[in-house]
Amino acid sequence: MSIEVTPMDTPLPPPQTIRTHLVAPAVPRDKPRATTAAATAEPKIAVKDLKFFYHDFMAVKGVSLDLHDKCVTAFIGPSGCGKSTLLRCLNRIYELYPDQRATGEVMIDGANILDPKMDLNLLRARVGMVFQKPTPFPMSIYDNIAFGVRLYERLPASELDARVEHSLRRAALWDEVKDKLKASGLSLSGGQQQRLCIARAIAVKPEVLLLDEPASALDPLSTQRIEELIAELKSDYCIVIVTHNMQQAARSSDYTAFMYLGELVEFDETEAMFTHPKMRQTEDYITGRFG
Amino acid sequence: MSGTDALAGRLRLEPARGVSRQKVEDALFRGATKAFAIGVLLLLLAVLVSLVVGSLPAIRKFGLTFLWDQSWNPVKDLFGGLPAIYGTLVTSAIAMLVAVPVGLGVALFLTELCPPWAKRPIGVLVELLAAIPSIIYGIWGLFILAPVLQLTVQPFLVDVLGPIPILGALFAGPPLGLGILTAGFILAFMVLPFIAAVTRDVFQTVPAVLRESAYGIGATTAEVVRDIVIPYTRVGIVGGVMLGLGRALGETMAVTFVIGNAHHVSTSLLAPGTTISATLANEFTEAVDELYTSSLIELGLILFVITFIVLAAAKFMLMRLERRSAR
Amino acid sequence: MTLYGKRRITNYVVLTLSLAATAAGLLVLFLILGALLWYGIPALKIMTFTAMTPPPGNTPGGLLNPIFGSLVITAAATALGTPIGILTGTFLAEFGRGTWVAPAVRFVNDILLSAPSIVIGLFVYEMMVVPMGHFSAWAGVVALAIIVIPVVVRTTENVLVLVPSSLREAAIALGAPRWKVIVAVTYRAAIQGMLTGVMLAVARIAGETAPLLFTALNNQFWSSNLNGPMANLPVVIFQFALSPYANWQVLAWGGAALITFTILILNILARWVASRGSFQQ
Repeated sequence: MSIEVTPMDTPLPPPQTIRTHLVAPAVPRDKPRATTAAATAEPKIAVKDLKFFYHDFMAVKGVSLDLHDKCVTAFIGPSGCGKSTLLRCLNRIYELYPDQRATGEVMIDGANILDPKMDLNLLRARVGMVFQKPTPFPMSIYDNIAFGVRLYERLPASELDARVEHSLRRAALWDEVKDKLKASGLSLSGGQQQRLCIARAIAVKPEVLLLDEPASALDPLSTQRIEELIAELKSDYCIVIVTHNMQQAARSSDYTAFMYLGELVEFDETEAMFTHPKMRQTEDYITGRFG
Repeated sequence: MSGTDALAGRLRLEPARGVSRQKVEDALFRGATKAFAIGVLLLLLAVLVSLVVGSLPAIRKFGLTFLWDQSWNPVKDLFGGLPAIYGTLVTSAIAMLVAVPVGLGVALFLTELCPPWAKRPIGVLVELLAAIPSIIYGIWGLFILAPVLQLTVQPFLVDVLGPIPILGALFAGPPLGLGILTAGFILAFMVLPFIAAVTRDVFQTVPAVLRESAYGIGATTAEVVRDIVIPYTRVGIVGGVMLGLGRALGETMAVTFVIGNAHHVSTSLLAPGTTISATLANEFTEAVDELYTSSLIELGLILFVITFIVLAAAKFMLMRLERRSAR
Repeated sequence: MTLYGKRRITNYVVLTLSLAATAAGLLVLFLILGALLWYGIPALKIMTFTAMTPPPGNTPGGLLNPIFGSLVITAAATALGTPIGILTGTFLAEFGRGTWVAPAVRFVNDILLSAPSIVIGLFVYEMMVVPMGHFSAWAGVVALAIIVIPVVVRTTENVLVLVPSSLREAAIALGAPRWKVIVAVTYRAAIQGMLTGVMLAVARIAGETAPLLFTALNNQFWSSNLNGPMANLPVVIFQFALSPYANWQVLAWGGAALITFTILILNILARWVASRGSFQQ
């Protein structure tokens, strides 16, 4: 198969055959394109001129983009480009650290979450996060899932059981752990632990799911299962995923944002970006000219 | 509608407890931890203040002469701190003279010489030695060590070192078994495991590359330790030694059993004497009048101040070492 | 003698000396333990645990009231000092970053850790015994608690700092309030280390005599009244060992053996708990 790439007014790069090997086809299996309706509807999250500072160093330099509901948006870019930092602004988890701060606006459903009056605990109940390294709590599998639920809801035991089971099923972990819910969360394998963390995050019924390189610490088989999971979960959540694996971004996401040195270089529908990148830098990154 | 309301209004979850209650709980918890932390600071201050207040009658009566006066007469209400202070300093000095080389030797053994399978067990045994309480050392010293010293080491010292012109004064007098020298030895045994443990930990901070390169040019173990390990860890060793000194100065029960409890300053190490803590242990509950009690508390204040200075200096040195090895 | 020969001999001498030093240290340990076994074990008859302390002379007796008193005072001091120590350690590890309070508290804590325990006894005497007008076990409890606190503060801080921040972030990301993250997740991850700290603190105060000398004092008779002087093992050993009476001296050795072996077992247990591997794999 041949893929047309029209570079901007720059000299022709190396032969096209190399590029076809490097860039995966943008449409795997039956991934539907983001519908026009979703694309033109109000974005779930609207980031407006977001700047982020570690002490005096500006790590994110005035980024604006829209994240749509029931879609997967991927942040890609080389190490240190600010993609994880940008992600962590969306649930303000940086507030744990005194010398980190953000300015600008992040509107979720029309409310600016960077407002100092915003209740952080409620925000995080609405915007869930899964981290790169699986972090099961030192408690049983059941308690891991129930932990978040118990924070905000008073459910009778039967409903709590049902919620736990539902979350584990959606995270494709139920069959493997249904007989050992009392076992410690730490007794699971790496891939299982990460799915546990995903189940834990969706148990509190968030609206947004932030995934910070969720599969980078896992083996290829677990990675594949996580990607399948993301494809399924998309229908219920607004998912934002940070990944350094371009193929993963191309496979799994509807929209992609490419960041470089703290700036948003390009943001587009994934298929468009990978086949017709508008910026030279984007194309260089996608074709592997720099990592 | 403000942003917060908008988000809260669309909340599908019913909060189990009010959100503002969570904030109160958070503030309470944080406040409690801070309060207790500041409490620790105030505790030290309170100890100092209460000691000063308690010593005021004695300070007013005796002033600075308390520090070098030798009298100790409860009947005539004449008190001087010199015997106790002298005893504290001398017993601690003896303890350090014995414990530091031996402790360094143990640390050297554990880090350079000891076969790997024995490192852990021997290390544990040394640390168990540190866990034995003071009073056990005291009772052992009184019933076992003192008689042994009286029968063997002390006569030896008197016979061999006594005739030597100046040094002999240190070993004059009848071998009683109890006395300053014995107390110094007991203290040495108590402080030894502590110094050994700290020095061993400090030795282990030397980067492997440094030691390997020294061995690589053919240095012997002793030379590696003398020329590489000790200079590198010098500050940490001094810090550890001073921590040990701080402990030795304050030890009570072990010393009380074997020092002989005489308010007397004597040049001979074989003579009985007293230390500040031994004086307090023996006499505090019997002190009836105000001046007596106050003099004892003043002794406690002096001990506290000396120990504080030594421990603070030790802490500064160890902090410097931590900063170095963190690089 | 060649230079190399001299170096070899120096090396040999130094190494032999270090071996001798270690042997000497271990010898002292075995001599002490041996003496305790030799004199102490015969004194630990059934009666020692069931009878009260006898009057001086030839009457047989036991150590029931001091054992009881020590158990009560030690338990109370641990119960009082541990929460204070844990909360202070939590402050140092979780909230203290960037403030001046945290380094100051750490400094003072380390001073208190090695401060002479008899001075602590003096302090509590001035603060509690004098105003109350009498000796009391409560004063002894407070004095021992002051010794427990720095130990627990240190071990708690050390162990909490080791909990990876990713665990805290994961809990916060679920919307948990800060205090809940600490109590339900961080403490749980650090529980083995914290338990070790408490056991070491108990081992430390179990043998402390000086702080009790002017606070809880001693009591010849049975007492469960914490508001008055209470018998305790260390002070009883002090009194009995220095006396000329044979029955008292025998009991002193028995008490000494009891305390020492309890402390050694606690130390070994604490080590075992710490080494069972942390919760974080």
